[in-house]
Order: sequence, then C-alpha cells, then structure tokens
Amino acid sequence: MLIGVKKEQEIAAQLSTGKGKGQSYWSVVRQQFRKNRMAVWALRLLYVLLFVALTGDFIANEKPLYCQLEGETHFPVFRSYLVSVGLADWEAKFFQTPWHEHDYETAVWPPVPFSASTLDISNANYAAPGAVREVGDYTFTHWLGTDELGRDVLAGLISGTRIAMLVGIVAMAIATLIGGILGALGGYFGDERFKLSRARLWLNLLGLPLAYFYGFGSRSFALREGPLFTELLISLGIIFGLFALLNAMASLLKRVPVLGKEVRIPLDLTVMRLIEIFNSIPALLLILSIVAIIEEKSIFYIMAIIGLIRWTGIARFMRAELLRVRSLEYIEAAQALGYSEWRTLFRHAMPNALTPVLITVAFGIASAILLEAFLSFLGIGVPPDEVTWGSMLNGSRSKASAWWLAVFPGFAIFLTVTIFNLLGEGLTDALDPRRKQ
Amino acid sequence: MLRYLIKRILIFIPTLLVISLLAFGLSKLAPGDPVELINRGGSLGGVEQSLPDADRIYQETAERLGLNKPSFYLALSSVAYPDTLYRFLRRDHRENLSKLTAQYGNWPAIEAYYHRIRQIDLALDSLKERPTAIRNVRPQLKLLYLSYRDQRINSLIDQVEAGIAADSVLQAQLGPETAQLRSDYETIKEKATPCLLYIPDIKWYGLDNQYHQWLSAFLSLDFGRSYIDGRPVADKMADALRWTIVINLAAIFFAYLIAIPLGVFSAIWKDSAFDRSSTLILFVLYSLPNFWIATMLVVFFTTPEYGMDWFPSLGVGNLPADAPFGQRLLDAAEHLILPVFCLSYGALAFISRQVRGGMLNVIRQDYIRTAWAKGLDARQVIWKHAFANALFPIITMFATLFPAVFAGSVVIEYIFNIPGMGGLTVGAIFQRDWPVVYTILMLAAVLTMAGILIADLLYALVDPRVSYNNSNKP
Repeated sequence: MLIGVKKEQEIAAQLSTGKGKGQSYWSVVRQQFRKNRMAVWALRLLYVLLFVALTGDFIANEKPLYCQLEGETHFPVFRSYLVSVGLADWEAKFFQTPWHEHDYETAVWPPVPFSASTLDISNANYAAPGAVREVGDYTFTHWLGTDELGRDVLAGLISGTRIAMLVGIVAMAIATLIGGILGALGGYFGDERFKLSRARLWLNLLGLPLAYFYGFGSRSFALREGPLFTELLISLGIIFGLFALLNAMASLLKRVPVLGKEVRIPLDLTVMRLIEIFNSIPALLLILSIVAIIEEKSIFYIMAIIGLIRWTGIARFMRAELLRVRSLEYIEAAQALGYSEWRTLFRHAMPNALTPVLITVAFGIASAILLEAFLSFLGIGVPPDEVTWGSMLNGSRSKASAWWLAVFPGFAIFLTVTIFNLLGEGLTDALDPRRKQ
Repeated sequence: MLRYLIKRILIFIPTLLVISLLAFGLSKLAPGDPVELINRGGSLGGVEQSLPDADRIYQETAERLGLNKPSFYLALSSVAYPDTLYRFLRRDHRENLSKLTAQYGNWPAIEAYYHRIRQIDLALDSLKERPTAIRNVRPQLKLLYLSYRDQRINSLIDQVEAGIAADSVLQAQLGPETAQLRSDYETIKEKATPCLLYIPDIKWYGLDNQYHQWLSAFLSLDFGRSYIDGRPVADKMADALRWTIVINLAAIFFAYLIAIPLGVFSAIWKDSAFDRSSTLILFVLYSLPNFWIATMLVVFFTTPEYGMDWFPSLGVGNLPADAPFGQRLLDAAEHLILPVFCLSYGALAFISRQVRGGMLNVIRQDYIRTAWAKGLDARQVIWKHAFANALFPIITMFATLFPAVFAGSVVIEYIFNIPGMGGLTVGAIFQRDWPVVYTILMLAAVLTMAGILIADLLYALVDPRVSYNNSNKP
C-alpha cells in the first residue's frame, strides 16, 4: 500500500518515541495499538469468532466427522462440501435414516453433534442445558439447552456466528465501496476541479434513464423468467455498452464548440447533499419497511440494504481525509508528473486515506451486526428456518422459563458488538493520535 | 442568521421529496392489494357476490383510495405498453397484463384476449342453472386472469374447454366463445412484436395522479385513513404519540440526570479509580444491545418463573379511565419503569462520555486555572465556570438524541407491548398499512432534520463565536 511520506513522518514525529524515525507506518500503528490492552484482547477474540465462523461445520454438525458404517469408511462432513458443489452424492441410506440413528461401528462426532437445524424430537419443547438425547449417553448433550422445536442452542450460536460475521463484513464492504468512492470524489475534486464537456455531461445524464430502460425495463420478462444471474449479467453488459457508446459519442461531439464547452460540476456539494439526505432518512424505519415487503426472504438482501444505507459515515471520513491529502506535496508531485486525475486519485490519494476509514468500518460492522440481530429478532428479513442470534433471542419471548434462550444468544450479540467497538476505539488511538486527547 | 435559517429550511424540501418518493415507491412495489385488504376487512366472509357487484364494490373502494389514477406524473416505458394500463383497476390483473406485454409486446391482441376471458366470466356468472358444471370451470378461468406462462395458459384453456364441453347447456352457450379464446391467445403469440419493447416512450399523466394527490394532502396535514381500521392516521398517531413522548422524555430526563454529574466528576478526577471504573461500565452499557436487556428483564422480572416477579407484566396497565388519577399514574409508572430504564442506559453512556470529553477540554483552559487561583470554591469553579462552557456538546446532543431515542423506542415498545409509535410502526409495516407508514417515515425525517437544525441554532446561541452569516459550514 502506498503511504505518503509526509504522513509517515508526521506520525512518527508525533509519537516521538525516539526510535520512531526509521519505522514503517504499520509498525508504528501496531505499536500504538498494542498499548491498548482491551483492543488487543478484542482482536484475539475476533480471531476466535472468525475461526468459529469459518470452521463452524466441523464444530457443530449432525454428521459425524468420521464413521464406519457397514464396513465402509465415511467422512460425511467433508463429503457434504463435495455434495454442495455437485461433485458427490449421498447414498440412499443417508437420506432415509437421520444421521444420529445409524448403527455406526465407530464414529467420531464433532464437539457439538448437532446442526443448527437438527430437530431433536426427544428434547423438543425447551430442554434445559445439559439435557441428553439418550439417558446415559453424554455424546449427545445439549450443553446450552434446546428451543421449542428441539434445536440445539449451542449449534445455533455457532451457525449464527457465521451469519453475523457475514452480515457485518459484507454490509460494510458495500458501504465502504459506495462511501469510499463518493467521499473520495467529493473530497478530491471539491467543487471546482471536476470539469466535463457539455456533450459528455448531457449524454451521461441521458444515459441514466436509457440504462434503466434497456437494462431492466425492456428485459423485464427475461429477468423474471430466465436464470437470474446470467440475465443480470446481460443487463449489466447492456448498460455498460450503452455508457461506452454514449461516451464515445461525447468524445466526438466535444469537437463542436458549443457542446465542447467545459462545465464545472460541484461534486463536493452534490456528495454532501446526498449525505445530508441519507442522514435525515430514518434508517431503521426505512430498512424495516424495505425488508418487510421483500417476499423472498434472504440474509443477502439485508446485507445489501444495510450497506446501501449506512455508507454516509465512511463517505464523510473519506472526504475529510482527501481534503487533507490532496494538498500534500506528493499529490502535487503526481500532478506535476502529468498523471491523470483519476490515477492520482485512486492510486495515490485514496490508499493513503483508507487506513483511517478502518475506524468507521469497525464501528460500522458492530452496528450492522446489531441491526441484523434486531431484524431477525423481529422475525422479518431472514427466512424462518434460518437460525440466527436474533431469532433465537426472539424464541425466549414465547417461553419465559427458557432462560438459556434469552441469555446465550444475547450475550453472543453483546460480545461481538463489544469486540468491534473496542477494535474501533483501539484503531482510533493507534491510527490517529491527534483525535485522542 | 435569518438567511441561514431560511437556507437550511429550504434544504428540507429536496430531502423530504426524496423520502416521499422512497416511501411511495416502496408502497407501489410492495406485494398485496390495498383494496382487497380493505374489502376483506369490511365485507362478511364467505358471502358469494355476483361478478358485477364485486367489481362495483372494488371500483368504489379503489376510487375512494385514489387508486383509479395513474401512480406518478410520468412513466418511462416502451411503446408496447398502452398509456391507459392504470385503468385496469385490479392490481393482480393489471400486473399480469403487463407481464404478458413484456413477453409479446402486442397490446391490442392482449387486450382482446383479456376481454374475451372477462366475457366468458360474466356469462358464467349470469348462468344460474348449471351450478356444478360452472363450479368446475370457473376456478380455471379465474386463474387465466393471473397466468402469463405459455404452458400454464395452454393447460388452463384446455381445462376450461373440457369443462364447458362436458355440459351441453354450457357448450351451447359458450362453446364458440371458448374457441375464440384459444384463437385470441394464438393471435397474441403469432403477432408478437417484442421489438416494440425496445422503443422508449415517456408517458405523461399530468397532475392528476396518486403521488400528487397524496403529497398535496400530506402537505395540508391530511394524513389519510388507515387501511386496517379506517381511522384517521392523525388520530392513531396522536394516541400512540402520547406514550412515546412520555417514555422518551422520561428516559432522556433520567439519562441526563445521571450522566451529567457522572461525566463531570470523572473528568475532574481524571484517571482516578472512579474515572476508570465508570468509563469501563459506561462502555459496557453502551455496547449492551437494548433489545437483549429488554428481553432479559421481561423474562426474569415480569414472570413468576424465577421468583423475581417484581414488575407488572407487559403493556401499560388497564385501569379504567374513571379510576382515580393518582392510582392510574402509579399504575402507569410501575409499567414504565423497565422500558424507561432500557431506553435510558444507552443514552446515559453516550451523554456521559460526551460530557466528560467536553469537561476535559474546558478544564485545561487558562481561565479555569485563574478561577482556582482566585480562590473560588470547587463548586463554583466546576459548575459555574467549567460546566457552563462544557454545555456545548450536551446541547447539540439533545437535539440529535431525540430522533435516535425515538427510533430506539420502536424496539422497546415492541418488546414491552406499549401502544406507542414503535408498536404502531411495526404493526403498520407488517400489515402494509401504507398511509400510516408514509406518515411515520415523513414525520421521522422531519423530526431528524429539525433536530439537527435546532442543534446548530442552539450552538450559535450558546457560543457567540459561531456565526452562520458567512458560508462557513457549521
């Protein structure tokens, strides 16, 4: 990553730890970060959570990791990965009999021998923590109890980890993309520096409704009936082609004196207004009403919607950083070397502004996870058979005596949110000592 | 100042327009037919209505709701679509017609086909003497209104034909019609003109449209009637707002009451044990999701399961309105302790951190040192000199806090079953009661913007150095 020399020196000088001069930016940051013990612990816990999210299938699964059945050796958990990509199949006996009920010669079970969606009939209706599936056999113990349908709470927590992490990271990735680009444009070009020829401006503005029309309006039948992903790609291809064509036309039309006149676009003002508008939207209410009208419930819509609404914080941060960065000498040097504005912006200015944005991202992930938990707590947005922390917490509302459903999922949400908040604090201290008093 | 104020209020306008468009667009995209929703609520279930009657009732309701008008000022579509599609009142029929058009692009043939279905439907409706035969045919015919896939339509037409052919009277009356229906459908396919779909066309509907009607009513403060119970939205909101305002004000009041001394003292005794422990506790409080805490409180303290049934169960109490005022107040207060607690602790943590930060900034200033040096007593220095100047962030926070708490109370009210705005909002969204949702979205946006504006104005009042007369951004 390209780091401005000036900034490096600035920070090194500010830290003035004596040995700061020869160090790289990142080692300074790491050193600062380590001073905050809470943040270091949060980072370690985050590694644990990520590990659980990635290896959840091996920690909690109703299939044995390894088993011998009728003289054959199976690795069912591994195999389920192959099945899901279409490289293998299950034999009929695995369909017909639930995994727990085979007479295995030997079997090695995952630490939690239940999947999030496994229905343990014998422990349905809120079995307390420690309930076992069969008397005397402690392999199949529900360490944290079960819910109304007999689903294991611990297994649910583990699969919920994956969903929470995914929501937080994907939603914030979308938000960072939107907010980063908009903020960078506003901050770098300001109100004065972005100029377009009239021809290009008008043709691109015309392109917007046309893109909608040819990309989606005319193709509504194909999009509805065909394979969605392919059709979407075709639509995007059409839109891309349309804009390429219009811009090629603009390059030609620019030669006409009237059309070639340059117009100044107040990018900064536009971006700031946009941020203002988005900040005035009651986000929670809007997200609630959008999610409630989507018929086909999926966790991915929630991610997309959170990302599309929560970009303003990142955009503000990015804009402020670029306002600072663009007047640094190395940017002037890049301009003097004749690099194009876009190259200067994306290759030189933006990477330098990205690190402080990490702070907003950390806090943003926390709030995205919280929001997802809240939506599934209300029971909207996620499919009913998907087990998430929020939906488990909601289960406790219908049965007060099942305290384990109120305590554990809520604690998982709390822990994750706290981890990201602590990381945000730690990053603030480490990346931007000036902000700290 | 005045110019600044006017400028800021002018910015409200585009923001509100965007939000109104969002809300309106959402309501148009949402599945479900409001007319059906209302009629189902109104009519007695199971009473068989004749087709013209049902249509008349549908039309009346649609007209009352303004749904017989085009949705927006203009529409961008292709020349394949007629500009009078909105006159087909039934939403499911209209959408199916539009799907057929998107597939074949020849509207006249599609319209002829639709009218043929209707003709047969009306004829079947007026035929009284063959109930069983009709009962066999009619469901298939009704499904034809809603089908656009080729295979499906073919099989439905086959079934209708077979059903009509099975009965001699029906065959005599409707046989030719049915044959016509098939040929109408064949015409659609043979004379398909999908190329028309690629010629853009802007259809202009003028001011007499649903959006304009709703927005102008909204601006004259007529929020419409709820789809669910027909009550004016304003009435419903007034009822709900009472509770929301009570618990929000109580929550903010308690939050400030505790947060200010906490913040001030932890700033004064910076890095003391008090400061460190309060910082930690407040951080934890800030991270505690309030819907989790609320759920836990409900589970542990309002049910007899754990021997800690200290608080009344959910709701706001149901003493009759003629009970003595003191008793009612006490009852309500008892019910509101937990929700108010849940709402206030998050705000408390936030405020107190801000107060601490503000105080720390001020306390290092020279004039505070001077005040100490003058020999003023601690109370005067802290409260009169330091705190008065640290009020800054606290004031701006109040204005931004209110919308935030308002949103947060959606959750709390839902969990504690309080008939406030939160309950109203969630209920309205679930039931697709759009007039209520629109109004709440718009009012919440106004509230947020007004909050930010008031914060900025207070900023200037508290600190004379802040000036809005030049173009500096606050």
